[in-house]
Amino acid sequence: MSPAVESLFSLLFKYKPFVFEKGRLLLSPSWPAVLVAVVLIVAAVPAIRRYADVGGKASSRDRKLLAALRVAVVGLAVLCLLRPSLVVATAVPQQNFIGVLIDDSRSMRIADLEGRSRSAQLDEWLNDESPLLAALRERFKLRLFSFAAGSARVKGFGELSFSGHRTNLARALDRARQELSSVPLSGLVLITDGADNAETGLSEAINALRDATIPVFAVGVGSEEFSRDIEVVRVETPREVLRGSSVGADVVIRQRGFDGETVQLFVEDDGRILSTIDVGLPRAGESTVVRTRFLAEEAGPRLLTFRIPAAEGEMVQRNNELQALVTVSDEQARILYFEGEPRHEVAFIRRALHKDQNIALAVLVRSAENKFQSLIVDPDERFGGEQELFGGFPRTREQLYRYSGIILGSVEAEFFTADQLRMLSDFVSQRGGGLLTLGGRYSFARGGYAGTPVADVLPVVLPAASDPAQFAEVSITPTLFGRSHPAVQLADTLEESQQRWETLPPLLTLNPISRTKPGAATLLEGRSESLSDPQVVLAYQRYGAGKSIALTVADTWQWQMHYEIPLEDQTHEMLWQQLLRWLVSDVPGQVRAHLGLDRFAVGETVQLSAEVFDDTYLAVNNARVVATITDPTGAVRQLALQWDVEVDGRYRGTFAATNEGYHRVDVEALRNGELLGQDSIIGEAAELTREFFGAEMNRPLLERVADETGGRFYTAATIDELPGDVAFADGGTTITEVLDLWDMPIIFLAFIALIGTEWSLRKLRRLA
Amino acid sequence: MLLVSAAGASSSVSAQRPSQSRQLDEMRAALDGRSMPRSSSLGPHEFYFTRAVYGGRGRSWGRGSWAVDFPKADRQFVFGLRRLTGIDASESENPVLLTDPELFRFPFLYALEVGYMSMSEEEVAALKRYLLAGGFLFIDDFWGTWEWRNFEYEISRVLPDYRIVDLPLEHPVFHTFYDIDQILQVPSVGIVRGGPTWEQDGYVPYVRGIFDDAGRLLVIINWNTDLGDAWEWVDNPYYPIKFSNFAYQMAVNTILYAMSH
Repeated sequence: MSPAVESLFSLLFKYKPFVFEKGRLLLSPSWPAVLVAVVLIVAAVPAIRRYADVGGKASSRDRKLLAALRVAVVGLAVLCLLRPSLVVATAVPQQNFIGVLIDDSRSMRIADLEGRSRSAQLDEWLNDESPLLAALRERFKLRLFSFAAGSARVKGFGELSFSGHRTNLARALDRARQELSSVPLSGLVLITDGADNAETGLSEAINALRDATIPVFAVGVGSEEFSRDIEVVRVETPREVLRGSSVGADVVIRQRGFDGETVQLFVEDDGRILSTIDVGLPRAGESTVVRTRFLAEEAGPRLLTFRIPAAEGEMVQRNNELQALVTVSDEQARILYFEGEPRHEVAFIRRALHKDQNIALAVLVRSAENKFQSLIVDPDERFGGEQELFGGFPRTREQLYRYSGIILGSVEAEFFTADQLRMLSDFVSQRGGGLLTLGGRYSFARGGYAGTPVADVLPVVLPAASDPAQFAEVSITPTLFGRSHPAVQLADTLEESQQRWETLPPLLTLNPISRTKPGAATLLEGRSESLSDPQVVLAYQRYGAGKSIALTVADTWQWQMHYEIPLEDQTHEMLWQQLLRWLVSDVPGQVRAHLGLDRFAVGETVQLSAEVFDDTYLAVNNARVVATITDPTGAVRQLALQWDVEVDGRYRGTFAATNEGYHRVDVEALRNGELLGQDSIIGEAAELTREFFGAEMNRPLLERVADETGGRFYTAATIDELPGDVAFADGGTTITEVLDLWDMPIIFLAFIALIGTEWSLRKLRRLA
Repeated sequence: MLLVSAAGASSSVSAQRPSQSRQLDEMRAALDGRSMPRSSSLGPHEFYFTRAVYGGRGRSWGRGSWAVDFPKADRQFVFGLRRLTGIDASESENPVLLTDPELFRFPFLYALEVGYMSMSEEEVAALKRYLLAGGFLFIDDFWGTWEWRNFEYEISRVLPDYRIVDLPLEHPVFHTFYDIDQILQVPSVGIVRGGPTWEQDGYVPYVRGIFDDAGRLLVIINWNTDLGDAWEWVDNPYYPIKFSNFAYQMAVNTILYAMSH
């Protein structure tokens, strides 16, 4: 209800709608009901008879109308005699408590109130002489709390510093409810911008308040819409990539007041610019996703900054940049490439990866029926050394799951046992590995994969088994989505990359597939004169914990050998290196450690969790999991993580950051003395700017808190009504009050309207 | 437009074929003095046993030395290759000019009688580009010191920066499919008439190679031996089977090696 409507309602009905919501209507006549009925009859019957007998120009219809008006007047009078009342519970003065929760986070420093900061607004409302507090104190005992990430009792407004790095409304409400649980509590007054940035939701806190009959009177501080602001809302990057990878990051940007303008987005690593991209800003209030790409050259944890330079007149400048941690691994990812027949692609892919120190390709080629050729360049004892693929394609999960990625070449589904097909599917969904399927005469539908577990994993919809011929001249270009995807970038800029794609010669071998699954994305598509629809050439989808990629062509080697390709051209090498790095990026090990926050403040409690699996990637609940935390000074401490009984294989712990800088966390899991795995992560203790993101006053959230707990929402325009409303709160010690309604202005106005209408009608019909 | 007549099955490719084929035949005619038969049965296969058509001084039944044993040796070898391995190999012979852009569609190339090879500058440039782009050259059937020197000279024009080295029996090419522990001298068909296994002064067979800077084998050289005749005359009951066996084993190993390294 708008404030104007609410004011009009209060004027006509004597009390505000909120009071009517809280109370119940009652008739409490001081006269006996029989007497009232007699009065009604005595007053109404003569009036009706009088109009019935009257003559003149009055028609029968007029007479009925006049009689009805007269009866209505009498009826209204009788209603007043019945004494309509509103029964409400009101707080007993000075016997109840009110908790006043004041936002003490840094977003209160934002000056979005016509040049005044939000904290200045709070000062006006909450200083010792403020009328608001005085009005509340008249009836209640007040308990003040400041809150940000946590919550604390304060004696006065002067104790607030507006330096909290986070806002956790749920925690603040819970704390106040619990602390005031032993006193009669009429309600909570929550004064905040509502810019909650905690990871937890509010539902549990709201339900607890509702169950305890504690209404929340929420007061929104700040502007609901900034006039001019650009915000980097979110950055999504792979958590871990191999060194030398081209990395893609999706950056979500929002703006107000800069419609149609173009800004630059920089990606920086320790002050060094990794990439720059022009961004056309979306319409006001809408978000746009920008994909930017950069090269991960330096190994180790990299705190990357995604920044848009501050524009003139921006309301908040600290939300123009966000950091994201990307761990650049210098380790070697091992990929199993199984080819069902000798193909040139094998040699050319191996050559493309020849100089790549971070990808090890273990190749198994079925050179004849029941005869295999294994090609192991870097024998690794963990994989069996020279004997790595001695037994052919892995037959157990333990063997298969050692790899980070699998490339499946031209090999028919019948080659595999049912269990091996299931293993391939589980390799992606359960183990979280990457599966790349290549085109070929025994691939996809031609290979009989329809209806197998592998078909479920594929990002493409397999055509009928009798799909058309495999041979077609196909020109290949990136889709709109693929143009900016790092896996298929062939040059430094998007334009140059697009140009390169357009000049690449067509390929000649393709499994015709024209549909992808819902949720899959196509990066490359091919067109051919002999095929009507655009063909899917490169598509991928997330499947369970892993990733599935389909490359439906079988002769990418032509992009190395073709006579139009210059000898020094690196397109083929680059494409395969990027494809395979993408295939194994973010593939987890048996131990996966997570920090609740990548960036946190000094002293802040940081949640640390680890998921632990055995070598078949089944969750392990009886492991001994120890985290070793190394702070920026080199000080080391150990923390034993405890199994979280709610989730199989998950272990939890917390630690507090001691100094500013990187905190390295090495997590190790053992079972029966045997090492299951280890993982290392990095978090940074630093000054946080989180409070300046999504910092507009969140009215919908505050209204929800108020509505669901039986309270009300206020702004600066309506806050004066708060003390009066709180008096009608359900909580605490209350007394029942009966409020007369017979003297509501609306009744007086109704009398005048009815009598006036009757009189006017009589004059019009010349009856008076 | 890519010249893909040898493997063309799509309509667009087929539409281009007659004129291109004529053009190629004319080029071959200019080179050989007579036109070459072109197979019309080529299809979309992974592997084509491709024979290098190069310029030279020698003649084989009125054609250049490149055409020795052609096409029977090629056909019989591919027949065996298809039977012995899982390679999707075209059954047809596939002679291609060194200067034909189409050559780059076929990463494996067979050349023989290179003792009589005499390449033009264009052929040298084309072969060099082919090898450095990823192609593999299999040399066979040349004998003795004089022919070696000719080949050595010709290949040095193609790859002046790389040396020719002996391939030891431990090299993977001898163990890719079959384990070869001895290099046999494979004689020409003359052996059925009681001739020796050697020709000229080529008494000892060698398998040599040329590697690039990255260690990739670009060229394998079978000197003082004639694998092609062993394939061609495998159906002759008087040709010793042990030589044919070795010739097949050596070629199968080489092809599988080239397709995987």
